[in-house]
Amino acid sequence: MEEYPEELRTPPVALACLVGCPDFHALITGHLHSQQPPINTIALPDFSKISVISKAAKENPATGLGKPVGGILKRDWLSKHRTRVPAVVAALFTSDHVSGNPAQWLQVCTDLENLKATIQGRNIKLLVVVVTQSSSKDDTSEDRMISLRKRAELDSKNLIIFVPDDPLELKQSLNRLGTACAELANTYYRDEGRRVKARLERKNFGSIELNIRYCFKVAVYAEFRRDWLEALKMYEEAYHALREVVGISTRLPPIQCLVEIKRIAEQLHFKMSTLLLHGGKVVEAITWFRRHINYYRRLNGAPEVIFLHWEWLSRQHLVFAQLLETCSATVQNVPTTVTVPADKLTEWELYPPYYYQLSAHYLKEKNSCLEFAISMSEDVGGIYGSVESVVASVYIGQFARLLEHEGTYTMQALTDDEYARYTLAEGKRFQDSFEIIALLKRSFEAYNNLKASRMASYCGVQMAREYFVMAEFSNAKQIFENIASLYRQEGWLTLLWEVLGYLRECSRGISSVKDFIEYSLEMAAMPITSNAVAPYFRDCGPAGPASLSQREKIHKEAFGVVTGESGTALSENNGLKVNGDCPLYLEIDLVSPLRVVLLASVAFHEQIVKPGARTMITISLQSQLPLNVEIDQLEVQFNQSECNFIITSDRKPHLAAISHVHPGRRVETAPTLELLTNKWLRLTYDVKPDQSGKLECIYVIARIGPNFTICCRAESPASMNDLPLWKFEDITETIPTKDPGLAFSGQKAIQVEESEPQVDLKLGPSGPALVGECFILPVTVASKGHAIHSGELKINLVDTKGGGLLSPREVEPFLADNLHVELVGISGQECADHSEANFDNIQKIQPSFGLISVPFLNVGDSWSCKLKIKWNRPKPIMVYVSLGYHPHSSESSSQKVHVHKSLQIEGKTAVTISHNYMLPFRRDSLLLSNFKANRDSDHTPTLPFNETSILIISVKNCSEVPLMLLSMSLEVEGDNSCTIQPQEEEFREPVLHVPEVVFRKVFAVIPKGNCSTLKMGTVSLKWQRDSGVGEDFHSCPTTSQVTKHRLSDVNVELPPLVVSLKCPPHAIVGNPFTYSVTIQNQTELLQEIKYSLDDSPSFVSSGPHNDMTFVLPKSEHVLSYMLVPLGLGSQQLPKVTVTSVRYNAGFQPSTTSSTVFIFPSKPRFQVSDVGETRPESITE
Amino acid sequence: MIVCVAVVGHQNNPLYIQSFTEADDALKLHHIVHCSLDVVDERVNNPKKSGPTLNETFLGLLYPTENYKVYGYLTNTKVKFIMVTTDLDVRDADVRNFFRRFHAAYVDAVSNPFHVPGKKITSRTFAERVSTIVKSFGLNAAG
Repeated sequence: MEEYPEELRTPPVALACLVGCPDFHALITGHLHSQQPPINTIALPDFSKISVISKAAKENPATGLGKPVGGILKRDWLSKHRTRVPAVVAALFTSDHVSGNPAQWLQVCTDLENLKATIQGRNIKLLVVVVTQSSSKDDTSEDRMISLRKRAELDSKNLIIFVPDDPLELKQSLNRLGTACAELANTYYRDEGRRVKARLERKNFGSIELNIRYCFKVAVYAEFRRDWLEALKMYEEAYHALREVVGISTRLPPIQCLVEIKRIAEQLHFKMSTLLLHGGKVVEAITWFRRHINYYRRLNGAPEVIFLHWEWLSRQHLVFAQLLETCSATVQNVPTTVTVPADKLTEWELYPPYYYQLSAHYLKEKNSCLEFAISMSEDVGGIYGSVESVVASVYIGQFARLLEHEGTYTMQALTDDEYARYTLAEGKRFQDSFEIIALLKRSFEAYNNLKASRMASYCGVQMAREYFVMAEFSNAKQIFENIASLYRQEGWLTLLWEVLGYLRECSRGISSVKDFIEYSLEMAAMPITSNAVAPYFRDCGPAGPASLSQREKIHKEAFGVVTGESGTALSENNGLKVNGDCPLYLEIDLVSPLRVVLLASVAFHEQIVKPGARTMITISLQSQLPLNVEIDQLEVQFNQSECNFIITSDRKPHLAAISHVHPGRRVETAPTLELLTNKWLRLTYDVKPDQSGKLECIYVIARIGPNFTICCRAESPASMNDLPLWKFEDITETIPTKDPGLAFSGQKAIQVEESEPQVDLKLGPSGPALVGECFILPVTVASKGHAIHSGELKINLVDTKGGGLLSPREVEPFLADNLHVELVGISGQECADHSEANFDNIQKIQPSFGLISVPFLNVGDSWSCKLKIKWNRPKPIMVYVSLGYHPHSSESSSQKVHVHKSLQIEGKTAVTISHNYMLPFRRDSLLLSNFKANRDSDHTPTLPFNETSILIISVKNCSEVPLMLLSMSLEVEGDNSCTIQPQEEEFREPVLHVPEVVFRKVFAVIPKGNCSTLKMGTVSLKWQRDSGVGEDFHSCPTTSQVTKHRLSDVNVELPPLVVSLKCPPHAIVGNPFTYSVTIQNQTELLQEIKYSLDDSPSFVSSGPHNDMTFVLPKSEHVLSYMLVPLGLGSQQLPKVTVTSVRYNAGFQPSTTSSTVFIFPSKPRFQVSDVGETRPESITE
Repeated sequence: MIVCVAVVGHQNNPLYIQSFTEADDALKLHHIVHCSLDVVDERVNNPKKSGPTLNETFLGLLYPTENYKVYGYLTNTKVKFIMVTTDLDVRDADVRNFFRRFHAAYVDAVSNPFHVPGKKITSRTFAERVSTIVKSFGLNAAG
């Protein structure tokens, strides 16, 4: 696009001319140029210069009708209208002159007349500007102004008073001037356009050339007016008219005629594309472009200058791509504008890289044709001499010879022959390779941005080929390398073959032996099996056609280089040398394309092996190279280097190759180490790993000749990827090992077990632990076959459910004792032989982890320690104990041996304590709150004030071991508002408490204080494990534990009435006894009591039966009955019901309290004095 | 005239590629076929542009290049067929017809129990059949 003249590339801008008063020209020019649309100006300082815009002497076109037209478009017509022919002339006069003395006025008039005469021929519009100072604005003579206007034949709006010295007025003046200029310019271009168009409409032109020219002119005038639609229409018309010229014009010799037509077509098309694209009509523009190319592509022109045609095509594409690029930057939504002919337009046609690529393609075509034409012309003879002084003629697309004849120049037409020589000479001057590369690079980048990697690759290939032709090997190599990876991945063999062929030559060009060999080997191992050289594969890069024979050739060449055998001139000349000074080392990893060259699959026959035991390993090698390869030496490397071994071929002793070898390495021999194409070479050997852990085969290194090494990373057959490229081939697949199972599951690594530990680790009995106590777990380490060096004992406590030792709710950091179970300590390190010499006392204890070092133990010794574990809550845990030690004293060489033991220990609550309250036997207090309590479910027990109540503490043994209870005490909180008996009791001898048994202890409680709520305090029970039961607990000191239980608060209340029954504990049949009910009124009120006695068949009774009585305040009333028992055994006493009228509360003695045992005769036993005995402990 | 046909597999690898030209541009045709895969990808990934042709196997003109036109076809198993022709005015119906017959030949070839899916098609019968179809395409267009 840059080669087009400026006036063609940019939209035309109207032109105005300023004459006179040069001081203001800069100001006015600036203003006009900044207008929208802008106006360019020519500034003429005074009126004497006006001749520059006058019309050159030229014959009227009407008169020249009969004369043949010299060309279609004049070269300078457009620039003339943009730079030399103004649409408007603004004549500037000062007001002094206008209203000055007659001589000055006369001068003004003369200037004006001259100006008018000058511009008349061109119909240029006139504008008169009178410059006046703001102070003398009114001094200007009105008559003179009118006279001036009349002389200039102007409307009043085109006579402008220009006031430069007042900012406001200046602005107004400039605006007026600008508007007037724009209007007049518009009028001028419209008039000119109409004038030319009228000629078109009248068909008033002598030839088609003029038709085209007129259309072009109308279009340009329309562009001046920014009437884009009209411009586009007229350009299209001109373009169509041009086609009519094709083939019929005989004005010029045929070659030059076609050149001119194409040149004009190019220009018209350029204008159209620009207008369409800037109007956002991308699809139309592309459709037009396609039509343009399709039509003119056929017009090749004469064969000797066909390169001109290619050049032209290339330029079309380049310019269109540039236009598309610039406009797609402004018009963002290119793809969405695809509307109508969507099936005709394809994706890439919407984007510039498509055109860049084609442009490069045609440029390349041009290059080859040009070279051919030059070589032809050189055969014919020199092309020089006759091409001097050929210049572009006045018409676009034409050339002529400039002849100087006595100081004047004349143009002489050229013959086609001369023209062809001229273009050849011109063509020779330019080197297009860089241009082609630049175009392809743009296309390459743009395609990459569009994520069209394959298109980009094709551009890359073309670009790299150009670099290759120019012998810029490193550039070419870099591009080819990138592209090769795509072709490899997608398996496009022919394309890859071509690229690799170039890469090989590039490597040769830059003397890179390693690359050369790598590419050669890759090519040689490519899956190309056909041997038929297709005749159409001529243009296939430096490697020749892809065929089996070619592969073999490349193979031989590569191996010739690496073995140094072939003293071919080729390798000598290019520095491709492999010898002792520069050995070649290739590394093939899992993703290398060279896996096809050498693939090493290594499989151990077992998965686990004991240290020191032998295990089999199969090494399978495969190569896809077309010819057999003889390997001199194979080295197998493991991660444990002492297992490495070397395999040499039995066929020939390669002492030279073995010189690389580490002395002391195991050397095996194999009958042959020859690799056949696509055949596995399987070698099976045994290895003996000594160290435990993982033994992995890492590399298989093949040495061919003294200076060539291929280091191939070992692969497991189980996880081996397909071979690149070959995976698409329809060939039979073979498995790397004979055993198919091994081929599918074999691994290149094996697990070497630890040596068998010969140490016993014993954990003590796993009796259940009790919460609160320090549970002692003895751990014993006994050596049976190994001495223990620097042993370490690790202890881990783990929740059996897998979690930590905390429950999630309690993981608050501020809770210090939130651990359910903790390792408190490790004690009693008793070394059997007391040798503390090399015993580092490493001891680390954390709540759930402990680490302790074990002293040196000789074979047969033992050592033990005790773990102290404390349970804070009941929880089952696992104790993991692991012992790590070195069986030999030298730590570094030998490996650690580990012994693990674990034990599950249940942590249990030892005892649970509960309590309840009872009233004394046969004595009931009326507790009013109990009635209420029945309604709401508040179960706070209520005790009668100042009465004895019984507190029973029940202790249940929840554990599985018998316990000894030592003492129980009750600690009352606060003041002694109640009496408790006994306060504390040491049991006379520890009470044996076997599992699942409840132990009860009775306390008498007499509330004394007059507070309604009584804090009862805490029960403390001291207990310990029963050590008397023959378990092995003698070693652990039995410490007593205290379990506490807080008693709930009780209510205390003064009972208004207390009823007590009195009767003997037993009776004898037939003997009467007294049964009395005492009702005690503890209130200050008179209490009305109803009572009744039910009859009982077992007794004969006497006494008040059914009545009502009053009990005086603070006194008591006794209902006394005499009963004679009739039946035997346990008998229910007659039921007495007492009802307090005031409280509406009835009392019935409970069944147990109203039962008496009747003996048939007087029993023989003694009743001790009940009053003296303390409350007894009863064990159920 | 059809100058090149190709069957392209899932990994965009050529399963079968054959050119029918006397000129020495087979390599170039391979390049063109390879490049056209970009267009196929583009069409398959942005199907909204070809709204009415949703679910259609025939992809239409992929792209015009210097002297060739490239047409594409995508089977339900995502195997791509590419055809390169030198004819400038090709009727869509002819191309569709060509691809239909080509597809049938392909189906027969891969139905061979000895054919491993995803591997290159080496069947000679298939090659002969394709060659017949290609030749008859020229005749139809002429007639």
